[in-house]
Amino acid sequence: MNKPKLIYASALSAAVTALFVTVLTIVAELNPALKDWLKNLSGHHWTSKSWLSLGLYVVSFALCYAIKHNVDARKVGMSLNLAIWSAVLGIIAILLFFTAHNFGWF
Amino acid sequence: MDLIEIITTKPVLIGIHLGFAILAIDAFLWLLGEMSHSPWQTRRLRLAALIGVVGYAVSWLAGGYYYVKFYGSLVKPIIKAGSAPWVHNIIMETKEHIFLFIIPLAVSAALITWLREEDWQALNIRRSSLILVSLVAGLGLLIGLMGFFISAAARWGGGA
Repeated sequence: MNKPKLIYASALSAAVTALFVTVLTIVAELNPALKDWLKNLSGHHWTSKSWLSLGLYVVSFALCYAIKHNVDARKVGMSLNLAIWSAVLGIIAILLFFTAHNFGWF
Repeated sequence: MDLIEIITTKPVLIGIHLGFAILAIDAFLWLLGEMSHSPWQTRRLRLAALIGVVGYAVSWLAGGYYYVKFYGSLVKPIIKAGSAPWVHNIIMETKEHIFLFIIPLAVSAALITWLREEDWQALNIRRSSLILVSLVAGLGLLIGLMGFFISAAARWGGGA
């Protein structure tokens, strides 16, 4: 196992997962048909989001590890920073979205 | 009453959710301390990371089961009808979704501990590693704070 490549693949997939959860959450709130589809998929929208996000992380991890051949120090550092920023911006976006939704700002 | 029935009762689920989250936060704070000091104690680093990942995973399962099975039908209506419905609309909605960020971030942080210290230094990822581990612990603390708001709104939101 190439350990730097494992870290790279995991961090990049964590970034993709955070982005996916953020976009899916906001779009599903604005699109009742999508939220209903998520509810019907597993019985609860959150359970579906959990399974989909976990599945995306695992598949993305495997693909990133399999596809990317040369992972150097710069790429590992970049993937970690991407994971950190995706999570931080995702938290801010979700918090702002639900705050705006609560106060009827849109 | 069998073991599964006991584990899936409301207070036990909340206890598991909270208890394992605290364990995971503590483990990642421990990992932060271990990682920032040289020379690395590899066994302790990996143990802290493993406890952290398992702790968050168990907390996710217990909290998720409670949320799906009980929160929507028992707790949400109380909060929505109380003096602080925004606690559900903002805090709970945010909490339940940002929790989904944790496991991939925690696994990524844990994988760093499988490096040898000299490889970690050669990769020049000290700063981002420490920020990532801090984020994983901090996210757990933020979610815990949100849980306090939700619990308080359910208990005292009626103005009693």
